[in-house]
Amino acid sequence: MARPDAFLFAPKPRGAARWLPWALGAVVVLGAVLFPYLVDRPRFWLPNIGVRSIWLGIIAMSLVFLNRYVGLLSLAQVTIAGVAAYGVGYVVVTLQQDFLLGALVGLVAGTVAAFLIAIIAARTKAIYFLMITLAIGQVFYSFASQSIEVTNARRGLAPIARPDFGILNLNDLTTFYYFALALGLLCYLLCRYAASSTFGLTLQGVRDSPERMKALGYNVNGYRIAATTFAGFIASVGGILLVLDRAQVDPDVVSLGSTLDVLVVAVIGGVGSLGGVFLGAIVLTLLSNFAQNLTDRYMTLTGLVFILVLLFAPAGLAGIGKQVKRFLDRRRSSEPDAGEPAQDPAATRPPESAITKGKQR
Amino acid sequence: MDQILLITLNGLTLAAVYFLVASGLTLIFGLMRVITMAHGTSYLLGGYIGYAIARQTGNWFLGALGAAVAIGLLGLVIHQVLIRRFQDDDMRVALITLGVSLIGTDLMLAVFGGTATQVPVPGELQVASLSIPFVGAYPVLRLLVLAAAIVIGVALALLINRTRFGSVVRAGVDDSQMAAATGVNVRVVFAVIFVLGSALAALAGVVGGTLFPLLPGQDGVYLLFSLVVVIVGGMGSIPGAAIGAVLVGVVSQFALVYAPTYSLVLTFALMVVVLAVRPQGILGRHL
Repeated sequence: MARPDAFLFAPKPRGAARWLPWALGAVVVLGAVLFPYLVDRPRFWLPNIGVRSIWLGIIAMSLVFLNRYVGLLSLAQVTIAGVAAYGVGYVVVTLQQDFLLGALVGLVAGTVAAFLIAIIAARTKAIYFLMITLAIGQVFYSFASQSIEVTNARRGLAPIARPDFGILNLNDLTTFYYFALALGLLCYLLCRYAASSTFGLTLQGVRDSPERMKALGYNVNGYRIAATTFAGFIASVGGILLVLDRAQVDPDVVSLGSTLDVLVVAVIGGVGSLGGVFLGAIVLTLLSNFAQNLTDRYMTLTGLVFILVLLFAPAGLAGIGKQVKRFLDRRRSSEPDAGEPAQDPAATRPPESAITKGKQR
Repeated sequence: MDQILLITLNGLTLAAVYFLVASGLTLIFGLMRVITMAHGTSYLLGGYIGYAIARQTGNWFLGALGAAVAIGLLGLVIHQVLIRRFQDDDMRVALITLGVSLIGTDLMLAVFGGTATQVPVPGELQVASLSIPFVGAYPVLRLLVLAAAIVIGVALALLINRTRFGSVVRAGVDDSQMAAATGVNVRVVFAVIFVLGSALAALAGVVGGTLFPLLPGQDGVYLLFSLVVVIVGGMGSIPGAAIGAVLVGVVSQFALVYAPTYSLVLTFALMVVVLAVRPQGILGRHL
């Protein structure tokens, strides 16, 4: 996918490289729209694969946004989504209020939580950021599974019924699927827009050379916090969808396992690609639904896929095309492929976001 | 007063276990600049192996030794196969080892089941207690653990600061390329440190598994605590790990008594305070 900021680094892609991503995107969107009519058992496919992939993808997308444009790998995105989900649960179940109010509270709670996490964690970077966000996530998990008053401990908050807005009846599976799809697309476009705005370009400056940006008068820490908060908002949207899908919220939502799920989605899809996360999410949901027929050790299988992707395709599924192309190019001719660097997220990556930096041999 | 002393002692013995786990993590990070997220897995698997051997042979020390050797070897394999190639890519190493821990959690659940187990010690030691002024009777087992942690900590500090191997390690910490240029085989040093760190985690697992139950999920908990300990104490510093472990252990025990629901949240608040004042940790060097 052509980077919106490609002109900063290299000439615009030409020929196939230019329209191929758009064509692919159009095919994927078309496939997603026709999805309910393509599958044999919509009652199984729509919620288990469709909707679940979309909210997993949205949460993973917030992680990818932070990694790609700010160079921070956050393991607290699931926690933020969980805070939003608990916000909805608290308003709807404990306070017995309307779902819309709950969604609003959830969005605000998630975003504020992201802001607070950012204040603590943004002072650090790279591996420290990873560890601190992981620690924060685990602390919230233990809080959620112990606090009776707020989160109802292990039993969680239920039931959270899907609302019926007249024309938009979310109890209808197909409607709910399209609603989720629309939200997912909106989040994607919002991330793309944010990335190509002045704000996004500044973020990439902060990512590539914090010292230089500081010298130019930018508040580097402020930008990191703002980006983390924005990503937190996206993750919160994912959290709202999550709670609509599960109809309840319990500590499992924010457990280490869920954190790893989202990380697996991001890594399989490609941590450098905003759209790739949905591919990763589909792979994970398919694995979790069908691997159980083959083996009890579904987690082991997921872990193996995760490690294999990290070892051999660090740019994820979204990067495999480029990897193959580069491999073929190298075999075809020994001349350096100068026309392509804009395509390669690896070329412009800072050391902090090194997952995609990998030595791609 | 008595109660405060008792809680402090409990905190210190808990800190002993935290220190043993975290010292391995901080040792590995100090030299290799990579974080192994499979450290909690080494802890729990070490505990299980120690449990299995100690139950079969009836000898606690054999269990501890067997666990340390087995996990050390496992660490060697993980290092050679998965980590060595990505030495300079700390994020990728963190993620790969996270994948290892995911697999480890699942397989341990499959093999050892979901019930709690505890590494057996001779019966008389289990019930023996020592009378301590102002505190009263206190289990000898816990005091032994505390003593063992102190001995191991001092031994590690001596190893790093007083031996030839230690000076090679310190040279590697400061500038691994320069150390390699002077003829040190840095790769071997890296491998040895990784094995040592993993073996320490396994030992901690046996010690921890003697005091507390071994359960699925403990791998995540101990990974979390060792991360918090090294973040508080400063990455890569053995004395820092000791200070961090004592702070985390004591704070979490006091919190457990006075605000049980928020014990972990308070422990975490400690981390936030330290980070706010010193982002590199108490004894950490520049970030």
